[in-house]
Order: sequence, then structure tokens, then C-alpha cells
Amino acid sequence: MFSALGNLQPRQLAAQILNFALVLSTAFMLWKGLSVFTNSSSPIVVVLSGSMEPAFQRGDLLFLWNRGQETQVGEIVVYNVRGKDIPIVHRVIRRFGGGSAPLQLLTKGDNNAADDTELYARGQSYLDRSKDVIGSVVGYVPFVGYVTILLSEYPWLKTAMLGFMALTVVLQRE
Amino acid sequence: MGDTKISPHSLAELKNTTDDALGNYLRGLKFEQDNTKLDVRLAIGYASVVIAAATFAADYKLGWEATKTWTAVAVVAYALLNGAFTYWMWAVEKGCVFDGVREGKKISVASKTKKHDPTYYLTVSSANSGSKQITAPFTTWFTADGYFVAKPFQQWLASSVEAIGNADSKNALRDERDEIASPSPEVELTPQGNGTAEASGTDGKAKGSKRSKRKG
Repeated sequence: MFSALGNLQPRQLAAQILNFALVLSTAFMLWKGLSVFTNSSSPIVVVLSGSMEPAFQRGDLLFLWNRGQETQVGEIVVYNVRGKDIPIVHRVIRRFGGGSAPLQLLTKGDNNAADDTELYARGQSYLDRSKDVIGSVVGYVPFVGYVTILLSEYPWLKTAMLGFMALTVVLQRE
Repeated sequence: MGDTKISPHSLAELKNTTDDALGNYLRGLKFEQDNTKLDVRLAIGYASVVIAAATFAADYKLGWEATKTWTAVAVVAYALLNGAFTYWMWAVEKGCVFDGVREGKKISVASKTKKHDPTYYLTVSSANSGSKQITAPFTTWFTADGYFVAKPFQQWLASSVEAIGNADSKNALRDERDEIASPSPEVELTPQGNGTAEASGTDGKAKGSKRSKRKG
């Protein structure tokens, strides 16, 4: 199997490696293209907890849109707590400001007893729509995101998957 | 080339092994390979990979907000380069396996296969004789268990393509060919008494005995 690679001319080897590099870079650029289109730093997120049940379950895949700045009460938004990198998916229950004044939001998980004031950073009692919110949920696919949860809980899976992909693309010459 | 065994049921492997052997054979016959088409493809491809890598690095270091505009530009540039890449492969390279020059004469060889058809289709364009398509079943140079045998492949190429035959007279079976039908009017054919002429050059059963050209 690997001897087939050894018999290649250097240019052909470069071409095979290019094939693999293009798979990775195209996947990455598609993701970035979607980011640019939706104006969101993370246009697709996975639900990590059960705080929005029964609307969303752990493992659901959510599609975000960040170009609507006038978020209404009842919309479901995804935000990052200042200083932390974990996206939280909750519903807007109060809004302050809007129009020419900066929009501020209070959120709460449907399945939680209390609102998110506890979750926000120390000293923060509301979300800034333009700074903290990654986007509002416009669609979802159930369960498909569980793969991402597995990949983050078992990081060796990522390396294994990547290695397997590399092997098949570089050795395949179809 | 070595004695690598491939799966004789995989059309892709048959074609790729044959393509590689063709390149090796022609380079061995001192055909100077012209790598321009492949080089352009590699240049376009790696340029787009570099753009993607730069975007990744910028995003990693500076975050989303700061790099939004650059990312938008990079995505468009990447899409254009990839389009050019695909176009180059589809329209310009078009199955080319060898582009070369020998003694001032250019030769260009492109290969293709058709689905579920174990035949090798070769389109050869050379400087003086235009474009010509030659075909042969893969069984001509592959054994039933998947070993590539160079001799019948080289004989097929040398006898079917003038430019290759000129470079490799041993495999060109010129004596046999001239017995049947000489291509140029200068060589006189003398009638054979016992009609032992072989049927075709792709047979590969070249007799060891030398045939002397009898001139009238």
C-alpha cells in the first residue's frame, strides 16, 4: 500500500498531498464562508445541556443568523459568557434599549428555574446584543450534533478521524 | 516499476498503474517530460491552500471580529482559485499523462477509461502526425492476478505510435510490420513463399529469428 507512494514521482506525490490539503482547506473555507454569510462567528452550534428541553435536546444541531439586530422577547439566542468560550442557548425573556440605544437582553433556559443572571460574568447583569450574542436560532436538526459532543469528550477521536481521512485521501488515486 | 501487485478488478488501479508505467517508459526512452500543465495545477492548488492557512492563522490569533473583512475577501479568493483549479483539470489537462519532447518533436499523451470497460484508451498527438486514438484491453499487459508485465505494453506503444517506435526500435516490431504493410513506398515488399507473416504487432509473440529485408 505505501510502496505505491514510494514509486511516485515527486510532483505526483505533491499532487496527492495537495488533494488532502484541499479537502481540509475547502471544509474550513466553507465554514468561514457560512460565518461571513450569517455574520456569526459560529453559525452552527451543538446543544450541550438539557436547559432548553423540551424545545432542544442535548446533541441537537442549531443554525444561527446574526444579521437581525432587533432581537425580540421569545427568540432563542446563543451567547458566550464574557471570558468563557462555552456557547449557551437560551430564550430572551426581557429586552432593554433597542433602536438607537444599544440593545440589552436578559435570557433564561426554558428548563431552568432561574434566569441567567447567575450564569453571566461577575458584575454583568445583562447581555449586550452586539457584543455577546453570536446569533439567533433560525433552524435545527435533531441529534446530529452528538458526534461533536463525542469528539470533545474523547479528543483522541479527532486525531483518529483525521488520520484515517488523511490515509484514504493520499493513498487513493481515483 | 517493480513487481507490485494490484487488484485487477479495480479500473482505477489498472489505469493509474498503466499511466505510471507509460511515464516511466517514455522517460526511459529519453523523452524530455514537460511538466508545465501539472506545475500550473500545483501552483493554483497550493496558492488556495496558503490562503486558507493564512485565514486560519489570522482567525486563531486575532479572533472573529477583527478578521471579518479579511475572511470575506479570502473566501471569495479561495472560491475563484478553486474554480480555476477545477477548470484547469477539466479543460486543459483533460486526462493528460505525458507531455514531452524528443529530438525536437513534441508528443502529448492523454488516457481515459470508460466505466465497466477494461480497455485503455489513449489519445496521442505528435508534432507530425496529428492526433490519433489507440486502444487495447488491459489484459494485454496485466496478468490475471494483477501483475504488470512491461514487454507487451511497450510493444503495443512502440508499434502503434510512430514517434515511440522511432525511439525504441526493438519493441517496435518493425520487421514484422514491414512484412505485412510497409508505411513508406521506398521499402519494397517481396512476396513471401509460405505466408508465415504474423497477424498483428500487439500479439507480442515476436519471433527470435532475424528477418532479413530482401531487396529486389
